[in-house]
Amino acid sequence: MNNKILKMVIVLTVTGIFSGGILATVYRVAEPRIEENRLKELKEAIFIVLPDTVDYKEIERNGTVLYMGLDKEGNTTGYAFVSEGPGFQGKIRMMVGLNKDLKHLTGMKVLEQVETPGLGNRIAEEDFQNQFKGLQFEPEIEYVKNKKPEKPNEIQAITGATISSRAVARAITKDVKRVVKILKEEGSGS
Amino acid sequence: MAAKELPLSKDFFKGFWKENPVTVQLLGLCPTLAVTNTAINGFAMGMATTFVVVSASTLVSIIKRLVPRQVRIATYIVIIASFVTMADLFLAAQFPAISKALGPYVPLIVVNCLILGRSEAYASKHPVHRAFLDALGMGLGFTWVLVLLGIIREVLGFGSIFSLKMFGDWFTPWIVMILPPGAFFTLGIIVGVINYITGKEGSETTCH
Amino acid sequence: MAEAKKDILVVSSSPHLRREENIPKIMHNVIVALVPAMAASLYFFGLRAILLILTSVLSCLATEYVFQKARGKEITLADGSAIITGILLALTLPPSFPLWATAIGGISAMALGKHIFGGLGYNIFNPALVGRAFLQAAFPVTITTWTPPLTMASVDTVTTATPLALMKFEGKITPYLDLFFGNISGSLGETSALAILIGGLYLRYKGIINWRQPLSYLLSILLFGGLFWLISPSRYPDPLFHILAGGAMLGAFFMVTDYVTTPVTPLGQWIFGIGGGFLVIIIRLFGGLPEGVMYSILLMNAITPLLNRYTRPKVFGELE
Repeated sequence: MNNKILKMVIVLTVTGIFSGGILATVYRVAEPRIEENRLKELKEAIFIVLPDTVDYKEIERNGTVLYMGLDKEGNTTGYAFVSEGPGFQGKIRMMVGLNKDLKHLTGMKVLEQVETPGLGNRIAEEDFQNQFKGLQFEPEIEYVKNKKPEKPNEIQAITGATISSRAVARAITKDVKRVVKILKEEGSGS
Repeated sequence: MAAKELPLSKDFFKGFWKENPVTVQLLGLCPTLAVTNTAINGFAMGMATTFVVVSASTLVSIIKRLVPRQVRIATYIVIIASFVTMADLFLAAQFPAISKALGPYVPLIVVNCLILGRSEAYASKHPVHRAFLDALGMGLGFTWVLVLLGIIREVLGFGSIFSLKMFGDWFTPWIVMILPPGAFFTLGIIVGVINYITGKEGSETTCH
Repeated sequence: MAEAKKDILVVSSSPHLRREENIPKIMHNVIVALVPAMAASLYFFGLRAILLILTSVLSCLATEYVFQKARGKEITLADGSAIITGILLALTLPPSFPLWATAIGGISAMALGKHIFGGLGYNIFNPALVGRAFLQAAFPVTITTWTPPLTMASVDTVTTATPLALMKFEGKITPYLDLFFGNISGSLGETSALAILIGGLYLRYKGIINWRQPLSYLLSILLFGGLFWLISPSRYPDPLFHILAGGAMLGAFFMVTDYVTTPVTPLGQWIFGIGGGFLVIIIRLFGGLPEGVMYSILLMNAITPLLNRYTRPKVFGELE
């Protein structure tokens, strides 16, 4: 009887130890690669939203992480930040570029989204993302439907996916203002 | 069970058609329906599952005499979970794009009843080489159905196969095919067609 | 003797069908009743309307034939039910809808909406609406691209919004007369309230439909639409608009009255109509889509078996 219980304990323990040990080893090998992938993705996104950027510096201001883009000579090309907002079905995460005068956007790239395939997920397409190059965000980013945007702060919403398009416009408007405020405070402070 | 008398090839091939995990046993439907919106996703999920089912079945068959009956399920699950975690880490490290597309469905392979089913029903009662062949057949049988589903849904829903564009601009994608209902329609039709074919053959039913 | 008595004293809920072979007769009357709506679509949208209707009807007939042949059943194309499904499906489509996609709609209407369940009489959902729902899910952009009617004098626009979309997204109200006669953009058959009304009255006159089903549906739309209108007249349109715009009329007279997919008991029919009307208003005012008739009827279809079960009249003298 006792033997049986002892055997069970031993088998489970040994299995657990083996499994834990092997997983720890695999994790140690895989972890740097995964981290590398994550950084590479981040870097690529920053370089896309900030033109002429070859390097970046990470800065943190009261909990907000900003990426300051640098060109070949080490001059500031602008600021990139991650913007988040609720979409049609889930969270939309985007990398957004802001020019160094803090006047207009320089680009946008969707990092994560779970919008409806074929409709809402077209926010991740080039055509839609390119609309954010040079887009002004004062007083706020607006969207128009089924026609070409006329004002400098307008984007054209995706046909059939107004909600996703609006979600992007709102999230960026909200976050860009916060970032601009932080950067302006810093500018006047120093 | 007269399994000993069956030729080895039967162990391997039964998973492809006669006892196909998806179309006949209807096991592992969660990944089948959830990630097959493109052919490549279906293939990646099939391969990951094959890796796990083969590794788990082989190991279970090796240690089958050492494990007491009372804790066998717990042991199997620990083994399966370990292999799943390995597959997950491997995908994240080597194929970040696929890992992102499959999302939580890779860790969820743990609860794919196909895998525990093979360990419990087959590997724990058969010698290692048979368990290996059985699992490999099941895994590949699972994979081909997922790839087929993925191809049908990708062609109709995106107008492409393995991301290669198939049609010109005249093609309007059927968005419903890449949404969950499309998965149900397609799987239903595939199972229906296969039942229709096997029904015509007048299949002999195997007992388990 | 006992058998004869049993025949006389059967107590059942409506419809009380006494004639033999009544399905073709009913169906042919329904087709006649749909003629005004089809004529209106021809008048407003031209030959394109007839092409769409033909494609839809032919694809429905072909699908029915294939399924009945494959299952070794009697071929019942002549009973007209497939033709009605085809016409109704076409009437819910925008005039510029591609013909090939219309055919897919017809196939899915018959296959997914009817024959998967076992054919006429066994289907849970209105087949035409199943086809329309499939198309809505498959081609959400194409199916909401509307062209203005030929009679509307606007040369510069290729596409227009429907009155419901105008109301929902831009807060514009379309004049009642245009809504009533059909001089608006929209689906083939839901533009002219007048044409559908004529067809509906004909069906009532012939005794094919009862007054309860369309009336409860429309009254419920009036009631709930009116309720929101009273709460805030500036934000919500008035109830008459709700009835005249979109597919409310078509739904009320030709889909809520479907024999197979709606309750058979009077109480069940009231509940069906009122629930459906409520859903229309909720979807139109608060949903993501401008129009809610399709989903309101499909959702009510789903609870029809339940309604039939719980509203069955008690057998007289039965003990608890």
